[in-house]
Amino acid sequence: MAELLRRLLRSPQGALGLAIVALILVIVTCGPWLAPYGPDTMAPRLRYRSPSAEFLLGTDQYGRDILSRLLYGARATVTLACLATGLGTMAGAVIGTTSAFLGGRADEAIMRTIDAIMSIPSLLFALLIVNLLGKSSFSAVMAIGIAFTPGMARVTRSVALAVRKQDYINAAIARGERGIYIVLREMLPNVIAPIVVEMTIRVAFSVMLFATLSFLGLGAQPPASEWGLMVAEARRFMHLSPWMILWPALAVALVAIGFNLLGDGLRDALNPRT
Amino acid sequence: MTVLDIKGYTLDYATPTGTVRALDSIDLAIERGEVLGLVGESGSGKTSLAWAIMRHLPANAREAGAISLAGQSMMDASESQIGAIRGRRIGMVFQDPSTSLNPTLTLGQQISEVLVRHHGLTRRQAWAEGEVMLGRVGLKQPAAMMQRYPHEASGGEKQRVVIATAFACQPECILFDEPTTALDVITARQILDLFADLQAETAVASLYISHDLALVSRVADHVAVLHRGRLVEQGTVDTVFDAPRDDYTRRLLAAVPRPERRLVTGAPSSDARPLVEVDKLSVHYGRTGLLAALAGRRTAQVAGNRDVSLAIQPGEILGIVGESGSGKSTLARALTGINRFDGAVRFDGRRIAGAGDMDRPYRRDVQIIFQHPDSSLNPRQRVREILSRPLTLYGGEERIEALLEQVRLPASFADRFPHQLSGGEKQRVAIARAFASRPRLVICDEITSSLDVSVQAAVIELLVDLQRRNGTAYLFITHDLNLVRQLAHRIAVMYRGQLVELISIDDLARSGPRHAYTRSLMDAVTPPREYAS
Amino acid sequence: MSPGYLAKRLALIVYTLFVVSLVVFAITQVLPADAAVMLLGENATPDALAAIRDKLGLDQPVWQQYARWLGGVVQGDFGVSLRTGQPVAPVMLEALSRSLLLALLSIGLMLMLAVPLGILAAIRRGRLADLMVSIVSYVGVSLPEFVTATMIVLLLADWLKLLPATGYVPLTENFWDGLAHLVLPMLTVSVILIAHVSRMVRSELVDVLHTDYVRAARLKGLSRRTVLFRHALPNALLPTITIVALDVGYLLGGIIVVEEIFALPGIGRHLIVAIQARDLPSIQAGALIMAATYSVVNFLADLAYAWIDKRIQYG
Repeated sequence: MAELLRRLLRSPQGALGLAIVALILVIVTCGPWLAPYGPDTMAPRLRYRSPSAEFLLGTDQYGRDILSRLLYGARATVTLACLATGLGTMAGAVIGTTSAFLGGRADEAIMRTIDAIMSIPSLLFALLIVNLLGKSSFSAVMAIGIAFTPGMARVTRSVALAVRKQDYINAAIARGERGIYIVLREMLPNVIAPIVVEMTIRVAFSVMLFATLSFLGLGAQPPASEWGLMVAEARRFMHLSPWMILWPALAVALVAIGFNLLGDGLRDALNPRT
Repeated sequence: MTVLDIKGYTLDYATPTGTVRALDSIDLAIERGEVLGLVGESGSGKTSLAWAIMRHLPANAREAGAISLAGQSMMDASESQIGAIRGRRIGMVFQDPSTSLNPTLTLGQQISEVLVRHHGLTRRQAWAEGEVMLGRVGLKQPAAMMQRYPHEASGGEKQRVVIATAFACQPECILFDEPTTALDVITARQILDLFADLQAETAVASLYISHDLALVSRVADHVAVLHRGRLVEQGTVDTVFDAPRDDYTRRLLAAVPRPERRLVTGAPSSDARPLVEVDKLSVHYGRTGLLAALAGRRTAQVAGNRDVSLAIQPGEILGIVGESGSGKSTLARALTGINRFDGAVRFDGRRIAGAGDMDRPYRRDVQIIFQHPDSSLNPRQRVREILSRPLTLYGGEERIEALLEQVRLPASFADRFPHQLSGGEKQRVAIARAFASRPRLVICDEITSSLDVSVQAAVIELLVDLQRRNGTAYLFITHDLNLVRQLAHRIAVMYRGQLVELISIDDLARSGPRHAYTRSLMDAVTPPREYAS
Repeated sequence: MSPGYLAKRLALIVYTLFVVSLVVFAITQVLPADAAVMLLGENATPDALAAIRDKLGLDQPVWQQYARWLGGVVQGDFGVSLRTGQPVAPVMLEALSRSLLLALLSIGLMLMLAVPLGILAAIRRGRLADLMVSIVSYVGVSLPEFVTATMIVLLLADWLKLLPATGYVPLTENFWDGLAHLVLPMLTVSVILIAHVSRMVRSELVDVLHTDYVRAARLKGLSRRTVLFRHALPNALLPTITIVALDVGYLLGGIIVVEEIFALPGIGRHLIVAIQARDLPSIQAGALIMAATYSVVNFLADLAYAWIDKRIQYG
């Protein structure tokens, strides 16, 4: 693990990405303690304030402190996005590996079907599922998880196939190793690394998607301080205070950038040949 | 008249971890009409020298010394001057014709563009000229070839086009960077002959770079040996080969496979029951895709092996020779259960119908070593884990250190990862892995093809030693006929999936090959000339 | 390219549309525990529920419902909107045409900017221009559309007051005004596309510039321009066709958000309205049309790729 961190810090993307994600993790775990105010503490006479010493990022239409709302909202946005990505990755990994393992016509049939499902844009797919499950954070997580599954299945399958073609797998078959051993001890360690990289980059996309769903009113519901929701609510008051809309938007962008950078850094760090 | 003159040339690369010296005080000269063979193994710097001459070095290159073409200094030339020199006064032929030709342009476009650029011809004139050149390099139907794309031509045809392009503007000097390495043996011989003809005809000064000493001795007038960036030997071919002065040169010469220097003596008893009997083995490739199957069409199946029959005695070394695509690797994979096969295989009398019959005792007795050391060892496992696996599976009280010692590797390597080892060291680990179970048959699938000559010699020596100590039988697969004649008791020749010849080494020496294909193979790789050392 | 190849691709697209129709139908009509309640809400009267069940055939066996729906779709009949009572197909298709206009304009803008940026970054690799393009594209792919839209509206509509913030004017009515209303949405949609495609172009071109054949071309003495434009670019841009086609999927998703923000009556907006109004036939039609558009675009891209890349011979 220490070795991994060292390798990660060698590249600028890795170092920067790690820094941003570490900061986000701190905020997610300690957000409520760091926040100067509660997320729902209203102060009607202090509405639409610009950043000041008292309210570091300003206040919103109910006089709530934007910084505190952001810190509390980090949990919703980031944790749920990670959860959704995790679900999609696991489901996709199972399908993809199975398809690669079966090979032949079964593999082809599965992949054609996966391709067909992928012709539904992710956001649209998520919208349909949310429509089915009702508007809530939970259904947004399920929706994104399901929407990600085909893409991760594809990636897993292609990685598994590439690993399968290597001679050390043939050597294992020639040794008479059992299938379970080959999949778990020979293939999996080599398959996990690219999957982890892909997953990290997907978290960025998941955060964006989650915030978009909330923005459209189909994810987190008020008075939650989810960032996408904050942007949606602030639109009406843009002319009164641009800060209300700016900070949550930047927060989403920052998280996405951080995970993108980390993913790129991991790609180099996890490569066993460098 | 000296065409290419290199004096005291030194090349360093500035890296974050310090300066790396690639070439050290190189002195070379090539006269008009002369062929200088530059010999070196991987890492010797021979390719760097080629780039240096062509002035195609990366930004972190630091040079000293002088390179001049017909008296004009190359190192002082401006970029536009270099652009005018490249292609017109210095040409280059590259190693792999399938990657050095642009896949989206026709062959005709790629040869005529040099003529347009350097001789100022119009497109039409250049096209006509290009056609003439293609005829000169021995291509039948040059007009049709001009219209083709690279993927529509064979390796040999493509290389002829590359050569034609290099000769097109009648340069004073041409660099040949291992032009036959990527071709099969018979085609390589044809290209070599073509080179000799053209060179004699045009009297172009040629720098012929190769790792293959034997090959260089056939085409060059002078030879220079490069070792880790330094020129350790230089002189006429006769001088260098008959009386080498440098130690490295001597080692290199000794490592060249020569059929008359047998490494293995004796012959296995022919009355004992054969260890392995293969009877009409066939392997088919090709699977009908899903949609095609639904449409009721069946894809024609490609035969990887067709009715191959042979037998291996205990302790015998059976060599299998053939070009790529001849089916020799397919056979190896069938015998280890990686490919499905039709036909009968008997091991020690027992019938083996497929991977299902290959139980633990079979696996212990039959082991395989693959060609590419990079992909045959799991990059995420340490050497210790890689070697302990066969011990766990088949039992045995060997310690890892003993296994490593057997292949002449230090015990400390047990804790290393594959990427921390060189190619030769990785192959030794693969060999140790194969011998861990004390097998009775080891299948060697082109195990030295991706190694340098000197490394190959060391690995072969190791194999011979292990065979002597353990009495193991080998199925030794290679495309190098000279190597197999040094090593094997019997030789099998494969061509397009079929076994065309099976002959003992004595019979081969006495009466010569029986099949025409074997004869053409032997002609193509006539062993290097006899020399005193 | 052989007729066999063409037939194979066509069979695939039919299969794709079939699977999509299954998925859309399943999610919207089959899976809901009680579709009628979902459509009319919990407080609907039993009579109203019965009426809608009857109207949409919700009591019939699932496969029969699906067959009925699919049968209509194949003939171009997507049913009648629960919200307006009008036939769905003409409305949706007209909305689609407006979205396609926006999409095409965005792709056009993207190609004009992304390709040169990618080329610039590749040939000046490791230098300042490359770094700048890299930063811009990192940021670009990390901004969801609603963020970009917000920024753009803040900057160009509110502060600088250059262009109208929302609204739609058909081009046929007033060309310049119509175009003005499309500029901000176009910019918003393009940002992510430009970021992504320029990155891909750069990466492809860097790879191509390191190939043996480009090196061989340089060593033949050809000029830098010839090497770049005649040898390198055709090879680097070929995969770009595939990438742009794949991005259309993302673009379609993004268009949903953009049309919502800028109040453009395209298919995305209609879908959102349909979802909020629980207009089942419109939802199904919108989803199917979107997915079909994506499939067709990829199909055309595959054909174009196969036609251009001489190496694809098999059928």
